[in-house]
Amino acid sequence: MSDKQNQRLVKEAQDAVLQQYTRRHFLKDGAMGFGALALGSLMGSCIGNTAATSLFDPANPLAPRAPQFPGKAKSVIYIHMAGAPSQLELFSYKPELAKLDGLDCPQSLLEGKKFAFIRGVPKMLGPQAVFRQRGESGLWLSDNLPHLATVIDDIAMLNAVTTDQFNHAPAQLLMQTGSARMGRPSIGAWVTYGMGSENKNLPGFVVLTSGGNNPDAGKSVWGSGFLPSVYQGVQCRSEGDPVLFLKDPSGMDRDLRRASIDAINKVNQEQYAEYQDPEILSRISQYEMAYKMQISVPDVMNINDEPAYIHEMYGTQPGKTSFANNVLLARKLVEKGVRFVQLFDWGWDTHGDSEGNAVDIGLVNKCKKVDRPITALLKDLKQRGLLDETLVIWGQEFGRTPMQENREGKKMPFKGRDHHSAAFNMWMAGGGIKGGTSYGETDEIGYNIVSGKTEAYDIQATILNQLGFNHEKLTYQSQGRNFRLTDLSGKVITEILA
Amino acid sequence: MRFKLVLRIVSVGLLLLSGSWIIRELLPAPKIDYSVQVKPILNKNCITCHGGVKQQGGFSLLFREEALGNTKSGKPAIIPGKPDESELVRRLISSDPEERMPYKHPSLSKSDINTLKQWIKEGAQWGEHWAYVPLKEEAVPQIQNEWIKNPIDQFIYQKLKDENLSPSAEAEKAVLLRRVSLDLTGMPPSELIANTFLNDSTSKGYEKLVDALLDSPGYGERWTSLWLDLARYADTKGYEADRNRIIWKYRDWLIHAFNDDKPYNEFLMEQLAGDLMPDPDDAKYIATAFHRNTMTNDEGGTDNEEFRVAAVLDRTNTTWSALMGTTFNCVQCHSHPYDPFKHEEYYKFMAFFNNTRDEDSDLELPLLRHYSPADSLKMNSLIDWLTKNSSLETAKKYYAFLKTWQPTINSMLCDNYINGALLGFDAGLRNEGSCRLKNVNLDQKEQVIFRYATNFNGGKWTINLDSLNGPLLKTVLFNKEKKDGGWKNGTIDLPPLSGKHALCFKYSNPALKGSDQTGIKFKWFAFGQKFPGQGKPGFELALRSFNELMDAQVDGIPVMVENNSEQFRKTHVFVRGNRSVEGKEVTPDVPHILNPMAENAPKNRLGLAMWLTDPNNPLVARTLVNRLWEQLFGYGLAETLEDLGSQGIAPTHKELLDHLAYQFIHENNWSIKKILKEMVMSATYRQDSKVNEKLVQKDPNNKLYARGPRVRLTAEQIRDQGLAVSNLLSSKMYGKSVMPYQPDGIWRSPYDGDVWKPSDGEDQFRRALYVFWKRSAPYPSMMTFDGGAREVCIIRRIRTNTPLQALTTLNDSTYLVMARSLASRMSEQGGTEINKKIAKGYELMMYKPISELRLKALIDLYDKSFVKFKDDVKGSAQMAGVKENPDPHAASMVMVASALLNMDEWLNKN
Repeated sequence: MSDKQNQRLVKEAQDAVLQQYTRRHFLKDGAMGFGALALGSLMGSCIGNTAATSLFDPANPLAPRAPQFPGKAKSVIYIHMAGAPSQLELFSYKPELAKLDGLDCPQSLLEGKKFAFIRGVPKMLGPQAVFRQRGESGLWLSDNLPHLATVIDDIAMLNAVTTDQFNHAPAQLLMQTGSARMGRPSIGAWVTYGMGSENKNLPGFVVLTSGGNNPDAGKSVWGSGFLPSVYQGVQCRSEGDPVLFLKDPSGMDRDLRRASIDAINKVNQEQYAEYQDPEILSRISQYEMAYKMQISVPDVMNINDEPAYIHEMYGTQPGKTSFANNVLLARKLVEKGVRFVQLFDWGWDTHGDSEGNAVDIGLVNKCKKVDRPITALLKDLKQRGLLDETLVIWGQEFGRTPMQENREGKKMPFKGRDHHSAAFNMWMAGGGIKGGTSYGETDEIGYNIVSGKTEAYDIQATILNQLGFNHEKLTYQSQGRNFRLTDLSGKVITEILA
Repeated sequence: MRFKLVLRIVSVGLLLLSGSWIIRELLPAPKIDYSVQVKPILNKNCITCHGGVKQQGGFSLLFREEALGNTKSGKPAIIPGKPDESELVRRLISSDPEERMPYKHPSLSKSDINTLKQWIKEGAQWGEHWAYVPLKEEAVPQIQNEWIKNPIDQFIYQKLKDENLSPSAEAEKAVLLRRVSLDLTGMPPSELIANTFLNDSTSKGYEKLVDALLDSPGYGERWTSLWLDLARYADTKGYEADRNRIIWKYRDWLIHAFNDDKPYNEFLMEQLAGDLMPDPDDAKYIATAFHRNTMTNDEGGTDNEEFRVAAVLDRTNTTWSALMGTTFNCVQCHSHPYDPFKHEEYYKFMAFFNNTRDEDSDLELPLLRHYSPADSLKMNSLIDWLTKNSSLETAKKYYAFLKTWQPTINSMLCDNYINGALLGFDAGLRNEGSCRLKNVNLDQKEQVIFRYATNFNGGKWTINLDSLNGPLLKTVLFNKEKKDGGWKNGTIDLPPLSGKHALCFKYSNPALKGSDQTGIKFKWFAFGQKFPGQGKPGFELALRSFNELMDAQVDGIPVMVENNSEQFRKTHVFVRGNRSVEGKEVTPDVPHILNPMAENAPKNRLGLAMWLTDPNNPLVARTLVNRLWEQLFGYGLAETLEDLGSQGIAPTHKELLDHLAYQFIHENNWSIKKILKEMVMSATYRQDSKVNEKLVQKDPNNKLYARGPRVRLTAEQIRDQGLAVSNLLSSKMYGKSVMPYQPDGIWRSPYDGDVWKPSDGEDQFRRALYVFWKRSAPYPSMMTFDGGAREVCIIRRIRTNTPLQALTTLNDSTYLVMARSLASRMSEQGGTEINKKIAKGYELMMYKPISELRLKALIDLYDKSFVKFKDDVKGSAQMAGVKENPDPHAASMVMVASALLNMDEWLNKN
């Protein structure tokens, strides 16, 4: 079959699928459309409308869809620091804590509290970093992040984030899926379900990991839960195939792959002529898309051709697995229309059980690896005019205690802090966020929240809001009820919106 | 003109319907059917504010007694028989926006209001939702014609006729052969079975084929694959490190159960309560691993009780969703918004599961210990000796203890640590360290067996009663007894005591340097009587056997063991589902709306299993036959397998569903093979699956069954059939899970030393159900083809069609290996000509000759490949998978075989 013939074949197949898709949606939207969605959500998440409110179309599950209202952000880069860095050495300036360094923790702070590792009465641990006010906004930042200090006025700092989970896996799940148990869709999966994929040749939801391990909660934090599996994050890898099975077998060139897909599509077209099942047409276009992805994914995943100043700016080294490389890739991906890029960087669990896990050694080194690239990302997005439409998030599953960890009731070999669920920091930038602001307050040692309490659901609601979704109205029916990302809670953090 | 046309149509209609239409007009209108006409209106418009979750104005519509009771205003909203005096009706039509219901929503349609009025007029009777009504024998529509083969077809035909559709003819033999084989065994048929059928022109040929498939071992493997989703089976524990769990014997139990056609009632009873059945053997214990597939959290510093409860909740939810098609999890936080289940009933039901010995321990205790054949003989002699020299009852107790190490008290229950700590799951003490074990019942306890590990000489363990300063009960001296400081069991005698006491443990060892060194760790304590029969002949040998068996280092599988009365846990309602706010105490019971438990049934898991498998349970059989139907036809008769309740999608053929469920219990005696045979023998199943545009529009998902099922195969089926047709598939059954090749870097769990180590030899090519299932990083192609991670029970898989699937079957090296092997098979069996070889490949896969157009497309691919490979030695060698002297013909045939393995008709059953 000639190329031309083949193109026609594929076009026909796509048209037919599209037609079917449109017809189905016409029927659906004509009858209910978003009205039904809204109705479903008014009933609360546990009570669904009987009518199907699903945006899922099996024939074309990733077709681009407009959000519920025009959002400020077109895409999201969510950087999750797995292990939970210490806010007390990065973002949360607590001079009073320094005065308490080495003293026994007062019993009042321990009563009724549960910790992952602290036992008995621990000692207080003063901040192990120097803090300064930065930028015009005068937000406090420690010297561990000197580069970030230069873009502080683009950042909205959340000072009073809280969670009820103090173990990594459940806490990561809560942050990323709205539930501390496995089985719920991740934020990116919800977004992809809501918006589809803008770039037909790239997945709508891409995941990049660094730090040597996957996050503690495993692939569930980018899973699709009860949503169709097509919405799960596609993990792009920096070793081997960037996407699993993307590369043709050795010995095959592109012409031969073209020839093989032509043959398969032709056989399938014949099958369609016999059976008239529209799913066959859908399969023909999926094979065509696979062929295109084989070019477009390696292309976007290749940072070799980036100019030297970009490498300098990000601190990237082509060919290596690094957080910096992932950050640069994130920029490239959103440039190409990927909606949701999720980065996980592992290795922030600074208990003080080893040098690498000490808040004054390991943490400092870890910061050096992320400070420059994250700063570069914000600057680079800005110079490309993309920061306004790209929401960038620094996230983590919980924070760290103002007390020094004393695992098993023993003194630790290095300075470290235990998991702390009650209060920690996150920040957002770009995508309609007001830079140079901060929201929320904690007490003078960073132990409890004083005002501006921010939960995982509020962050999720804000992300969806910036993309153009009312978090109460993006729902999917499973097991008899309408589920939503934010479960029964969530409020948009309007205080940090531009 | 148009008017005339309409008239004519109406008159034709009148003629056709003649009698029945007139009769219907003359008779009084049928009574309003609550479930069909009223409940949907209430669910859609009212129940959000007046249901199980909220009762605005003190008014709820969930139960009749609530709906007819006084509201906050002091009078009832519904007065049966008097719609015009009923506040509910007044509110529906009120012109005051503050009064008119639904509040701040569009008003109900006139016809809905009339329906409600009529319903109240007729007495406002509540009807029960169909799925909660006990099964009864259904009248089979009395239609006979040539197409109809069994009662299924009579139901289906009736509906087709109502919809003005007619069924399709039987599919051609080749298509039917492949369809029924993939459906029943998950694989293509063996050559013998295939040829026997294709060459059998008698009318019995198809039935013989079905019988042969039901008898083949692959049958059990195929249906086990389905059950593994429901059981959320995995080879790892779930959270964080997601470490390995050895539980594959449960998978093997399932294969045996399906192949033996174990009746479904027994099948369920053993999985839910095998350990509580009389004299449970290993198989019955292993069956209970069903509910030990819940996740365990090993992560440092977790609250074990929190995750124990999480597992119990999961068992409750899975029992309802997987076995009874009910969204019971809704009732965890409040009464069910739509269905007649009360908040408290959730916890009564949970109470059945709240008394098992597992406590989220890292070792996943209790385990069923697998003894070697020699040790099993030793066990037999010991049990014989105990029976003779003590009693049968004592012998059984010792047997259970040696098999499960239960009953024991886990040392994680220790508290009041000084200079010691809970280390994961173990109680660890340093020099001069102490801790306390609370509330130990010491009645008639003469000794304690304890599991411990110490790595130091000169240790001293003292046990004091009630406090560290209390009476000294025992001093035990420890020396390092094993080079590795490994775990062993010790036994010490206790002085006679009674009642519940705290035991305070203290460990001292001046030899320990520094205050940080842990001197001893304890895992569990078993308080009991001394080994019986002292002084009787053979006592020493028996005691030695007991100790050796107890200490034997053996593998085990997590199983269910019930708490004894001393360890009994109370169950409370969690207020609004919140574990930290305990409400009233509840005892085990089943929801009031369903069949009651038998009077003599024990109020434990065994009684629960008896209730579940009672023929009067309205949900269990319906849920299963609906699921079996879904497996064959692509959608259930009720599409929402997970929800047969009033919010689920109503069944398309309710009478057929009920007929099959009734038949399954009463005629088939719960035989899955028999009911499956009934389904695949029907003309409905055997239809051709070709469609036309009209039919696609009218019935896109084939819910009316005017054609046969055409459904994409599951991840497992796609792998298995590829291995089968390429002659690679290993026929080996059972055993530990295997690791076929997968790309590097899939496993990246923190703190987990386990690695994906590709299996040797034929284990590379085992059926998909044997592939190691790691929850946090499942085998990639399983996920790409819509498998789930099995963190929780997967009620049904939702099929998708994506480019990643195409990339998998095109490029995954497993598929390349299949293509190479298929290509050699084509070359060996297809003769000398290229087109014959290609045609042979297609025939091997599809059991019928290849069409001209298909053949042409594939020859074209072959030719293009050959043009490249004849001048490309290296590429040719890589494609063919040889080191030297590659044959460009062979390489080109691999290209063709790969294309064949990507045909849509191959990825579907047609």
